Amino acid sequence: MNHIALKMLMGDTGKYIGIVMGLTFASLIMTQQPAIFVGLMSRSYSFISDVGLPDIWVMDAKVQFVDDIKPLQETELYRVRGISGVAWAMPMYKGLLKARLTDGTFQTCNVIGLDDATLIGGPPQMLEGTLEDLRRSDSVIVDIDGATDKLGKPSLLPGGKPTPLKLGDSLELNDRRAIVVGIAKVTRTFQSQPVVYTTYSRAKNYAPRERKLLSFVLVKAKPGQNPAELTRRIREATGLAAYTQAEFMELTYQYFMHNTGIPINFGISVLLGFIVGAAIAGQTFYNFTLENLRQFGVLKAMGTSNWVLLRMILLQAVLVGSIGYGLGVGLTALFGHAMRHTILAFKFPWQLLVFSGAGVSIICVFAALISIIKVIRLEPAIVFKG
Amino acid sequence: MQIKHILPVLAAAGLVFAGYTVVNSNKPTPIAKAVTEPSTAPFKAFIAGAGIIEAQSQNIAIGTPLPGIVKAVAVKVGDPIQANSPLFYLDDRDTRANLAIKRADLAKAVADVSVAKATYTDAKALSDLAEAVTDRRAISAEELIKRRNAMLISKAKLESAAALVQQAEANVAEIETTLSRLVIRAPVAGVALQVNIRPGEFAQAGFLSTPLLVLGNLEQLHVRVDIDENDAWRFDKSSKAVAFLRGNRQFKVDLVLAYVEPYVVPKKSLTGDSNERVDTRVLQALYRFDREQMPIYVGQQMDVFIETTVTPNAPPEAAPPVAAQGATP
Repeated sequence: MNHIALKMLMGDTGKYIGIVMGLTFASLIMTQQPAIFVGLMSRSYSFISDVGLPDIWVMDAKVQFVDDIKPLQETELYRVRGISGVAWAMPMYKGLLKARLTDGTFQTCNVIGLDDATLIGGPPQMLEGTLEDLRRSDSVIVDIDGATDKLGKPSLLPGGKPTPLKLGDSLELNDRRAIVVGIAKVTRTFQSQPVVYTTYSRAKNYAPRERKLLSFVLVKAKPGQNPAELTRRIREATGLAAYTQAEFMELTYQYFMHNTGIPINFGISVLLGFIVGAAIAGQTFYNFTLENLRQFGVLKAMGTSNWVLLRMILLQAVLVGSIGYGLGVGLTALFGHAMRHTILAFKFPWQLLVFSGAGVSIICVFAALISIIKVIRLEPAIVFKG
Repeated sequence: MQIKHILPVLAAAGLVFAGYTVVNSNKPTPIAKAVTEPSTAPFKAFIAGAGIIEAQSQNIAIGTPLPGIVKAVAVKVGDPIQANSPLFYLDDRDTRANLAIKRADLAKAVADVSVAKATYTDAKALSDLAEAVTDRRAISAEELIKRRNAMLISKAKLESAAALVQQAEANVAEIETTLSRLVIRAPVAGVALQVNIRPGEFAQAGFLSTPLLVLGNLEQLHVRVDIDENDAWRFDKSSKAVAFLRGNRQFKVDLVLAYVEPYVVPKKSLTGDSNERVDTRVLQALYRFDREQMPIYVGQQMDVFIETTVTPNAPPEAAPPVAAQGATP
């Protein structure tokens, strides 16, 4: 019987491909669009996940997300250090400063100031130079994307590619000299600005004159400390906000969810993909069943039970569903692979495989259901009509 | 091979590739290690503060009593210096010329005394001669008075000349004092920590933002610890304290309290702004330590932890509750 079912399905190659394509595109849209969405949202907190060493981030109580800098007084660092359960606490400066390029254009950069002695919070991966090179005078570390593109030396030919920054090249940050001593790889951030790492005291020199310049206090809990308990203690003792790394990522993520149109836009895309996929696949599958109604009628007239027919249709649905799903996620992965070095945000967690699998299953079940109803209601006599 | 057989194979390949992408692209980003391990407090409850090393004598910014061009600098940076030994010399040519004049004045005054003395001797001899005449008829009364008065006048002139000598001597002494003020000497024994003056430069009198010369006694170093005013109520003079060298936490030293400055001072936030505003005020405690235990220089910063019995969350009954909150504006 299963063999007959497969014969029926693949007998007409055009129809067969039609069903599979419908499901493939449904599965592609339901995987690729959420992957871009997840990629984009994970960029909102990529800076926090890149700085992996500290457990807890301390900041002004009114900070809404990672780029919302409300600087603290410098003495807050020592107050946080004095809280029991804190292994260490380090200052960090984060701010947007203007860099002047050799041709006179200005580029806004994300400048990160690390604690002078320990350099905690540095870039996750150094491509050239070492983090210790920041001890040299006027030294900065630039991320590879910024160095090759936005901070690169502009091409002499109009419209040409900029020459990438090399070690030893100089920049001008707020009228002050900065020498590139390292190139780092960092996870792209939401705004995709070039990232410039330097020491805390040098960052204060680069930054415009302000009374308060301390953006974050990075805290490591002593071994065995409950992070939730420690954040509560820090909050109570200093009146500042203290979040664990996961909480701060969640805070940033929620800010983008609630204050940008991204989730709605991508939600609509995914929904449209689902509806279009369901419509195409459902309709094609239903048409296919209708056309094979004679064959089902013959089988029914020959005494095949409804149960066996149902299994046949389910088999057909599962088969086209699996093929469409496999092709869809494969194409998504291929898309992600092709785009891995571009500016496109793309992140493919395992949850997305489950999500699109469930979506394709729902479409298949829906398509199979309407076909099954038709077949069960079928009178075997129809074969002998017309 | 027919298309109907290719499709399932492609689908299977697609699924495998998707699985590979999921596993491969979701590796956690590597974490940048700290270049040097940060120092950690060895106490359960503690106050943390930044400490700066200074000489026990504090760092003495040497000033000059008189402005002038520097003629010579007698010390180099790092030189050990005896108390009262010269540090630098100011240009003294005009003062020395003045001294020569005053010395000549003195010689003249001394000569004048000899003249006055001779005159007095002469007048006294004539007067004595007249006084010695026993027969009053042999000398007129007028002559006698004349001689006596001449003697008295010349005596007064002699005294005046002697006073002029004293005045001239005082003038000479004044110039000599000025001369000695042109040599700036060490007020205490110590080491020249900084020399910001070179021969030919103009040394200004008065307070300078860059001192001409910084002197300090390095036999015993102190670490000046800034304690935030919000934490000052938790500070206990008798509790233990340790300091860590920045950049290498292996260098750790126990501190002994030297004294606490009872006046809470504004903390300097060094933004380099022309009109610095005050962040907060800090209590400054000075600690002694054994300088043999670590390589350290005056002016270097240290991370200091001071043990305390009260945690910020549990203020003791006696302590005013406002201090615990420390809400910042």
